[in-house]
Amino acid sequence: METRLLHIFRNTPIGREVLLQSMYFCKSIGVHPVIYIPEFIKFLMYFEKDVVQIDLDDSYLIAPETASAHAVEIVRSQGLPEPNFIEPKNFTASTLPDIPVNFDFMCCPRTISDLSSKIGLGYIGPRVRRIVHSAKFPVLIVGTIYKPWKSIGVMFGGSANAINAFRLGVRISRLSGLPMNVYTQLGKHSPDYYKDIIQKNDLTWDMEQYVRNWEFFDSGEFSVNLYKVPHDALVVIGAYGHGVIKEMLFGSTMEKVQSILPNNLLIVGPKYQAAM
Amino acid sequence: MKFIKGLNIVRFPSRWIFFRFDDRLLLISIGALVGSCSGLAALALNRGLIAMFEMLGHYRHLWWAFIMPGIGAALSSLFLEKIIKEGAGHGVPEVLYSVSRYGGLMRFRSSFSRLISSCLTIGSGGSAGPEAPVVMSGAAIGSNIAQLFSLNDRQRVALVGCGTAGAVAAIFNAPIAGLVFTIEVIIGEWSALNIVPIAVASVFGAQVSRLLQGNQIAFTHLQFNIDPGDTIACLGLAVVTALVSILLTRALRLSYRGARHIHLPIWVKAAIGGCLVGGIGFFLPDVLGEGYHSIQAMVEGTFSNGLLFVALLVLAKILATSFTLGWGGSGGIFAPCLVIGSFTGLMYHRFIEMLWPGIAWVNEGCFALLGMAGLISGILQAPLTGMFLIVEITGGYEVILPLILVSAISTTLCHSFEPASFYMKDLVEKGHFLRPRTDARVLADLSVSELVEKDCIIVTKEMKLGDFVKIMQKSHRNFFPVEDENSREFLGLIHLDDIREYLFDPLFYETVFLEQIMDTQVRTVGLDDDLSAILDRMDAGNLFSMPVVANNQFVGMISKATLLDKYRNELIVQTNH
Repeated sequence: METRLLHIFRNTPIGREVLLQSMYFCKSIGVHPVIYIPEFIKFLMYFEKDVVQIDLDDSYLIAPETASAHAVEIVRSQGLPEPNFIEPKNFTASTLPDIPVNFDFMCCPRTISDLSSKIGLGYIGPRVRRIVHSAKFPVLIVGTIYKPWKSIGVMFGGSANAINAFRLGVRISRLSGLPMNVYTQLGKHSPDYYKDIIQKNDLTWDMEQYVRNWEFFDSGEFSVNLYKVPHDALVVIGAYGHGVIKEMLFGSTMEKVQSILPNNLLIVGPKYQAAM
Repeated sequence: MKFIKGLNIVRFPSRWIFFRFDDRLLLISIGALVGSCSGLAALALNRGLIAMFEMLGHYRHLWWAFIMPGIGAALSSLFLEKIIKEGAGHGVPEVLYSVSRYGGLMRFRSSFSRLISSCLTIGSGGSAGPEAPVVMSGAAIGSNIAQLFSLNDRQRVALVGCGTAGAVAAIFNAPIAGLVFTIEVIIGEWSALNIVPIAVASVFGAQVSRLLQGNQIAFTHLQFNIDPGDTIACLGLAVVTALVSILLTRALRLSYRGARHIHLPIWVKAAIGGCLVGGIGFFLPDVLGEGYHSIQAMVEGTFSNGLLFVALLVLAKILATSFTLGWGGSGGIFAPCLVIGSFTGLMYHRFIEMLWPGIAWVNEGCFALLGMAGLISGILQAPLTGMFLIVEITGGYEVILPLILVSAISTTLCHSFEPASFYMKDLVEKGHFLRPRTDARVLADLSVSELVEKDCIIVTKEMKLGDFVKIMQKSHRNFFPVEDENSREFLGLIHLDDIREYLFDPLFYETVFLEQIMDTQVRTVGLDDDLSAILDRMDAGNLFSMPVVANNQFVGMISKATLLDKYRNELIVQTNH
């Protein structure tokens, strides 16, 4: 079955950059883009155990007459086939369409409900967080300027979500042919502890095969060590944990990474099920 | 650490040993909690409305009072659209939609938004009822509590029902009506698994109401001595209530459509609608608000106006309700139905008294009650709800025989003219009304991707027939999709039945290419197509299988045999609950 990426298109210069980045992702791992051009200021996403209402920033409704043509032009510029456009079939209320959620990836900027002036380091909007929390697919959060990446960087802290993030990193590295690096901040555990986790999850072969370098930060603050992550890497990271408290929090590592790294982020939520 | 472990245990009650024994115990326990919470929500709205009436009551006689419903409706609309950003609607269709399509998933904001908006609309004089908002609120409370406890779809739907039942039971102090309305209108499935927790929630909702505002029935209980002649006369009342129900349904829809064609901000439309209601209410104050005071007067037999004036009130209340709800105000049609029903009953009583003045008819209050049952049954097409609600809110079973007659006939007649009830009409038209265990529901719960058969051998158009015969021998299928070798674009299908004449003549093996004999006019389906539409296409074309194509590429085949197999499995899952 073909893999598909959902993109909510904004017909503005910033929307163009986000779509370019999104299409670069599609092209590099062979994903088919599915684009939604909003007709209403809000829509619903019904996940398995949660319903998320996305109240869009007004700029998503700008110039609807050119939106489709602009989107097609950007997709073609990346050498991709014609995208599919979502025409909502179901409506919870007459101005509240339901958008399908059976995708493999979704791409969005750091915030989709707030004004685009809010987009910046250290802020991921509440709706984007809800989607990450509830979706079975990982969410690609891209910057405001199109910048192709040249490597994959996975933040690995040993949790169940980190394992999923690692698996996803391997998959992307395999499909895109880009080198992959893994970063681990050592706390109270030694490197052997993390290697043991990899071994227990039958990922040793993948580690040897795809990972160019596994960097352990054994001293210094994590926020300082993040400088070592290449500026042109796609960073794959897990967010939210399992358990009552962890399910409510985005995660301290995640918060630090999104506050410090300007890189494009591929975030794996707790409901994601990794496919190799 | 112990605290977090404790929270985890609370979060997943379905893992407790006590509840593992039978998950109905889990539903009963959480249902009681949901019923109590939704009961409190209903009472909060009730108290809010009383406060609003008391606050604004002093100004009703002033000449500018007609703008009060306009201001209330505009504020209500602004609150829903700009602050809560919910999207307007009655409430009940949204609950039905969520139960039909998404296992009862509802937004948290729905648990309080309609309480505030309907308080503004009705409290300021808009002609609407508080019942649909409390139904939505209760349902959303049930849904969100189910999400909090990580319950599955089936359990979530039961808790949505618990929330609905608790709210209706609390607002009318009518536990049986709460239960019956929920099962008959919202859930649509009479199974013990649903009935038991919903009944418990209904009891808890009513109990909360009784604790906080006393065990009162909505309308004074009077003794009615009903003769057989009265019962026969009720047949005519049933016809009249059915006609009025149809008139109200169409007026509401017409008003919705009319308002949709006016290109003004939604709050301006609500304000215009509200001012029109205020204008009507200035001359006929009985049409304002929920209107229960008028019902009380009619049931007690103290409503002294004549036949023509009561007929005018029926029309005025229908207009006022259409302007309130159709133009953007927030509220439900339950209370207006009761008011219009009682006016209709009274009107009918006055009419037969005028025709046959010599006959000693039963008190007009009895006809007002029967009229209410007729309207509720007709509009909702839920006869049991109509019967039990009237019996409970009036506290007497004396009228049960004519009540059954009026409810049954009114429902049947309305169904002949309007096959779907007011709540369900839009959902039915859009194909979103999916009752459990029905064909549409089973098909909606399956998707094309679940049914795709991928064991097909793909061939290319340049392939010679001889090479194809070798491949064919290894396959158990009659269909072979043809793709472009480079672009992988789906070009057509080879069906063995169509090429049999070539297969048995080796002369063709080296001279015929698949491009020459493939069927290029193949009807295909997409991954996102509805299964019911696919089945219709198969039936129309007398086909047993069709290729699934996405982005011009072959994905697999979908066949009736696989569909039947999965359909049966899904039906077993749904009926085993």
